[in-house]
Amino acid sequence: MEIGYYPGCSLKQSSALYDLQSRRIFAELGVQLTEIEDWNCCGATSAGKLDDFMAVAMPARNIGIAETQGFSEVVIPCSACYSRTLVAQKRLEASPLLRAEINENLSRKLNGGVRISSILEVLIDRISAGELKPKIRHKFRSLKPVCYYGCMQTRFPFDVPVPDDVENPQGMETVLKAVGVRAIDWGYKTACCGASAAVNDPETSFNLMAKIMKEAVARGANCFVTTCPMCQLNLDAHQEKFCQKHGIAERLPVFFITEILGATMGISPEALQVDRHFVDGTTLLKELEQDESKQAK
Amino acid sequence: MTEPAIEIQPERARPFLQEVTERSGQILTACYQCKRCAAGCSVGDETGGFTPNLLIRAVVLGDRETALNNPLIWKCVSCYTCGTRCPNDIQTARITETLKKMAKEAGIEPLQPKVADFHDAFLHSGMRWGRVNEMAFMGMYEMKNALREVRESNYEAILEEIRTQAELGLSMFRLRRMHFGFLASKGRKEIKALYKKAKAKKAAPSAANI
Repeated sequence: MEIGYYPGCSLKQSSALYDLQSRRIFAELGVQLTEIEDWNCCGATSAGKLDDFMAVAMPARNIGIAETQGFSEVVIPCSACYSRTLVAQKRLEASPLLRAEINENLSRKLNGGVRISSILEVLIDRISAGELKPKIRHKFRSLKPVCYYGCMQTRFPFDVPVPDDVENPQGMETVLKAVGVRAIDWGYKTACCGASAAVNDPETSFNLMAKIMKEAVARGANCFVTTCPMCQLNLDAHQEKFCQKHGIAERLPVFFITEILGATMGISPEALQVDRHFVDGTTLLKELEQDESKQAK
Repeated sequence: MTEPAIEIQPERARPFLQEVTERSGQILTACYQCKRCAAGCSVGDETGGFTPNLLIRAVVLGDRETALNNPLIWKCVSCYTCGTRCPNDIQTARITETLKKMAKEAGIEPLQPKVADFHDAFLHSGMRWGRVNEMAFMGMYEMKNALREVRESNYEAILEEIRTQAELGLSMFRLRRMHFGFLASKGRKEIKALYKKAKAKKAAPSAANI
């Protein structure tokens, strides 16, 4: 099975490990991810803050490409790219005038029809099809993750049918449950990490991240699991700083969902490039494997 | 203590309200100050008590100065919690985004210039090359930042920023999370043409505006 794939800029750069993991996991599940041709930046939140027209026009070009390439589904792992593209699609559906205006400049015009999916939606489809179960090699019973969705996975600035519960999403929990991992329930699933404020207003962002971290620790989590490259990088790269500032003693690895899935499928942390995290995650994954073999004896 | 009563002049207030309503696509007059947005606001603790409901009130009352110059429009992280919880579907984040643009057009110096510089550098990098090159755009952002600090003679702030970014950059380099190649999309020509169109639309607003 082949589906269209939009990596977005961050999966080609600072979060290249997420790109590698996504391709690998889906290959294991029999899905080939084919990058859509010559895709461009989705505009992210910056476009919405500077130019409303471009906020729709930039993702529109990518949708047009995916449609003319004949894909019926495009998966977008980055939450921000996913949100922006889905919103653009809905806005264009709602305004034929806007669509005509943008189409005028596009060499590959859009008509509507392609399904824009988050990584969770595609994974859940594969799980329902029974494709995951035979691939599971390890059971990580002592993994105690909190699933961190952040903002862009469920909340949209435009009326978009959200494929999950807005306030208490379950997509990641569903995926983890399929590999026998029970996630810890907590109250900061959809809290904001501050996104780009980590760069341009670190004090605000660090305050937000410290609240998220404190709650995860209080609930007894031993790691975060996320789908958003921005959330991952923020909580990971700045953890030492915001924890020191807010007197938090614990440190928790921040995994992409693809790392947990890959590890349970028996792919080594090295092959998944888990060593590219700021807060070490390799040790925990190896400990889980050892725990499992001890239990088996 | 008595505070002076607010003087409302509807004929002066209305055009501003109308402009924000049209440009943000949000019906601000539907707000009945239930403060669910304030309760959920991610940056509610960071704005000195200036919450989304107060921003809407300022616009509705025609208080242009407050609406275009307050900590919320610059601290807002566009997390969309306010809009998701609003019983009347008012997306305040769309209002903060609109007011940012209006403040820029009015030549008002942003309360948090780094926020404005960041988004400017990001979008223009994305439009120039078709894809955002993290190192190039961060360089552009830091340059804008440094130039402003030089104008204000904040040399210590520049040093501090260099220290912070160098530290982060070094760790990113060690973890191979820095990308030295260059990303570009041929589609940037189409993007540029669309941007030209966007600018023309701004100059002559039409019904097709969103």
